[in-house]
Amino acid sequence: MLRYIAQRLAAAAVTIWVATVAVTLLIHAVPGDPVRIMYAKFQSTPEQLEAVRTSLGLDQPIHVQYAMYLGRLVEGDLGRTIVGDQPVLDVLLARFPATLTLAVASLAIAILVGMPLGFLAAYKRGTWVDIGAMLVAIVGVSMPHFWLGLLLLFFFALQLGWLPVAGSGIANLVLPALTLGLANAAVLARLTRSAMIDIFDQDFVRTAQAKGLPKTVVLYRHALRAGLVPIVSMLGLQFAYLMGGAIVVENVFAWNGVGRLAIEAVFARDYPLIQGFILFFASIVVIVSVIIDVLYAFLDPRIRYG
Amino acid sequence: MRRSTTSGPVLGLLATALLASTGQLATSAQAAELVWARYGDLDSLDPHRATSTLSMQVWDQIYDTLLAFDADGQPQPHLAKSWEISEDGLTYTLALEDGVVCHDGSPFDANDVKFTIDRAFDEAQPSLTRTAWGPIESVEVVDTLTVKVSMSSKFGAFLPFLADSFSSIVCDTNTADTFGSSTAIGAGPFKLVEWVKGDAVTLEKNPDYRNFGKPVENMGPPHLDRLVIKTVPEPQTRLAALQTGEVHVAEPPFDDIAAIREAGELEIVVADNTGQNVFWEFAISRPPFDDIRARQAVAYGTDPEMAIDIIYGGLSQREWCPIARGVFGNDQEFCEQFGYEYDPEKAVELLAELGYGPDNPLETTMFVWTGGNRHKLAEIFQAQLAQVGINAAIEIMDIGTMNARVKEQNELVDDPSPGTFDMMTWSWYDPDILYALWHSPGAYSGFTTPELDAMLELTRTTIEPEARLAAVQDVIQYLMENAVHVGLYTPGWEWVFAVRPEVSGFKVGAFLHPMFNDVEVKE
Amino acid sequence: MASAAEPVHAAAGTPASRSFLGALLRTPSGAVGLVVVAVLVLAAVLAGVIAPYDPLRMAAGPRLAPPSWAHWFGTDDFGRDVFSRIVYGARLTLQIGVIAVGISLTSGLLLGLVAGYASGWTERVLMRLVDVLFSFTEIVIALACLAILGIGLTNAMIAIGIASIPFYARITHSVVLVERNKPYFEAAVAGGAGHLRLIFRHLLPNVVPTLIVVGTLGVSTAVLAAAGLSFLGLGAQPPQPEWGFMLSSSRDLISRAPWMMIFPGVAIAITVLGFNLLGDGVREVLDPRQRQR
Repeated sequence: MLRYIAQRLAAAAVTIWVATVAVTLLIHAVPGDPVRIMYAKFQSTPEQLEAVRTSLGLDQPIHVQYAMYLGRLVEGDLGRTIVGDQPVLDVLLARFPATLTLAVASLAIAILVGMPLGFLAAYKRGTWVDIGAMLVAIVGVSMPHFWLGLLLLFFFALQLGWLPVAGSGIANLVLPALTLGLANAAVLARLTRSAMIDIFDQDFVRTAQAKGLPKTVVLYRHALRAGLVPIVSMLGLQFAYLMGGAIVVENVFAWNGVGRLAIEAVFARDYPLIQGFILFFASIVVIVSVIIDVLYAFLDPRIRYG
Repeated sequence: MRRSTTSGPVLGLLATALLASTGQLATSAQAAELVWARYGDLDSLDPHRATSTLSMQVWDQIYDTLLAFDADGQPQPHLAKSWEISEDGLTYTLALEDGVVCHDGSPFDANDVKFTIDRAFDEAQPSLTRTAWGPIESVEVVDTLTVKVSMSSKFGAFLPFLADSFSSIVCDTNTADTFGSSTAIGAGPFKLVEWVKGDAVTLEKNPDYRNFGKPVENMGPPHLDRLVIKTVPEPQTRLAALQTGEVHVAEPPFDDIAAIREAGELEIVVADNTGQNVFWEFAISRPPFDDIRARQAVAYGTDPEMAIDIIYGGLSQREWCPIARGVFGNDQEFCEQFGYEYDPEKAVELLAELGYGPDNPLETTMFVWTGGNRHKLAEIFQAQLAQVGINAAIEIMDIGTMNARVKEQNELVDDPSPGTFDMMTWSWYDPDILYALWHSPGAYSGFTTPELDAMLELTRTTIEPEARLAAVQDVIQYLMENAVHVGLYTPGWEWVFAVRPEVSGFKVGAFLHPMFNDVEVKE
Repeated sequence: MASAAEPVHAAAGTPASRSFLGALLRTPSGAVGLVVVAVLVLAAVLAGVIAPYDPLRMAAGPRLAPPSWAHWFGTDDFGRDVFSRIVYGARLTLQIGVIAVGISLTSGLLLGLVAGYASGWTERVLMRLVDVLFSFTEIVIALACLAILGIGLTNAMIAIGIASIPFYARITHSVVLVERNKPYFEAAVAGGAGHLRLIFRHLLPNVVPTLIVVGTLGVSTAVLAAAGLSFLGLGAQPPQPEWGFMLSSSRDLISRAPWMMIFPGVAIAITVLGFNLLGDGVREVLDPRQRQR
């Protein structure tokens, strides 16, 4: 088990390392002179641009630049934003709790809605319940997040006046979390159904049933627990989807997370912030997936690693 | 980075986020608080690090200026109670008010003025609006309450500049690295409590504040205990928040203004004398706009009157001049004679001379600053231009990016892509903006000629009003005849406010400075 | 989406194209999906005939008019006909699907084939890289591409295409791994077949059925992603009648003109649903094991 954890951590480290290389290269992939694009503000002079180039090390060979970048990274220095000239890490950290809150709330909604729906569909396989649930799920998968968001906004906030339209309080969390949660509940329902069908077909469930155990006991003690294992293994991917979806949903509801920040940065061509965001976001996703993989390894006694 | 790559702090952050969110629900009933919602956030608390109106309006609350604009936009004594100008017009000696204190309790004096100006001219990181200070050579602290500023040549726009937010006096105790991002010490009516980037700036009353020259009734500290300046990007969201009372002052959606007026609950405040000018600006360094006829075709081929009528109703006006109404030198009649009245046939003719026609449209890109329904205006212009044979793709971006992209476009001399044009926007209190924009090398490295340089220098060194007016109008005529700076309309951004009924005393000063000194919120 | 990762194996004997179509039409999801996609293609091809107005023409009707006989889906804030815009928007949507999936499918296929065929170090390095990119998530890769390429619908299509390459590479690789160990392939290697022949005559045909399914489902993902980017202002630009972009301009008018928000959303959802169903149908036809479910 320890060896497995070590392997996963090493893989995560490689991923983050590749991300650092990628963001260093990003600035060079930009057509034209990145310094001029970034700093060609009102009244900047060639001398100022030269000074910026030197301070960012952009006049150095690329491997030196990379080493400088890593050196600063170790000190927690991700550079400064173009817009407003502020430390990138501070800006990201200030916005991250909002995104995490949204992602966790949405994941909770996705689990609470999606898993029972998928379970029910699998249990009632082939009946109208199954067909109905899966119809709802496939429509849910096909709806753009932001459109669902607009519909919810239209009905709950504007027509019924039940919920505030935007902002950062708990009541404001309801609509974005519902939007993101329901969209992902559809995905989770489909996954749960297919995982549970596999379980129901397996011998140990059939044996339990043949032994005459009560149906509920078979369901809860055997099938559900076994079914959870593959579902948990998908939660890492789900979380990544959620974080990605959050980028769009944050913009619909003016939720003040890193997703909105990232879009603003792309518009403003604020490359240090874009670099920081990519590194930050990739690291979060990778780390969460490691945590979930390790949990999965603990959960599933049948699998031996290493 | 290390901090964010372990799970412990992440969970901790989540907990704090949840606490923070619940905490915001509880607002104190006693403290007088006003929430002002705007479409975007400021870029920096440091007045030398940004140029946006959104930033400026926050600086106005935190910092103070040596002079202040009165209701008509004339500079009046404020923190500087008087000044003397030397015979040769090169030296300004300013006497400061006694007993003013910065937010950290340190006395406000000549050292703060010197600190600010030296900082603006810092070799490594000068202010973004350094040119606007004028040709300053040195700043000298004569005594604690007297400061002497020396210029290398005469500069007619120095006094008005000292009333503008870009000249906000930064107290000399702002030496921390965090200055501009999480700390800011000024002598303005409000103190910074906290800036949550992208969300809100929270300010509290400066109990020691003294007003000398601002056009408000209140000569002491503000009546409000707290001023919260929130970012709410969606117009509909701002309106909903105004209606529920979550927000007290905000820019309403333009399409709803008529309905708001009819309902009569919210007051609509429209600022005048904004100094805002929206104009066509062209990348003249390469085809197609290196040819004056292509520039004129755009000017003739678009109908600003119709466009602003559709998008803004009666809230904005046609502006013929390159400098806005309310600014020295603006004269509609004078400007109109050099202007470009909507004339699609003329545009087609000019384009035909250049070899463009129905089968061979002129391809270009129009840059537009995001927000304020400007993208809709651009879509109308795009459709109008399509009719005369100009295919203009629209690119929408924030103003900082647009400034950079326009400059970049002008500097791409040999690029094979067609040159762009843009709906540029500037707000200024003085025709000196024309110097910043068009005197070589030019803010955008755009159109410059030795002839124009000489004319612009004259507008700076001529102090006597009548002579200066003539000099300014020469420049205006030159810019318009060459179709370099073609005025479209004014005002153009953030000039309409919807105010809740319990709020009184909200004023917008000249050049779009919302003032909260007199504001009271009744329960 | 995730369930598409299971390799699909062609049923014994490749069915002739007509019987494939027939089989597809006999599956409920395939039939519905095929109809939706056919309608979309027809709308795109015949947009000029179907649409009553020029999609870019302002003042085709009054501004913000609700749905009526003259304007089935109402008009927008410039008086443009929303129905005509949606019909023309089908062209952009198809373009997005074809270009984005085209990029990710061909690149992913090549990468997966080469990695799977080469084995050893090449395989480990390539697939490690694919795994790394995969864990970056598609949205981040797409944003990074847009940061480099600049904003615009074409660039958004390219960005989405690039962002999905790891996904296609993984699937191709997993199928190749299975095929590589089958007796027929080992026999071909022993028989001295050349690299190109092994890859293109033996591996490729066995990868294709899986990729047809994944590619069909991938169109729906690409359409969603492009609509999302346009909604954020990073994709389509005015006056393009792109559905996601139309949704984003409906935001300011959501209470006054909800039809501007409803119809483009329905168009996206039906299109995505159509490709999802078609993909499911194709899978059922190509993989009888799945059909039993």
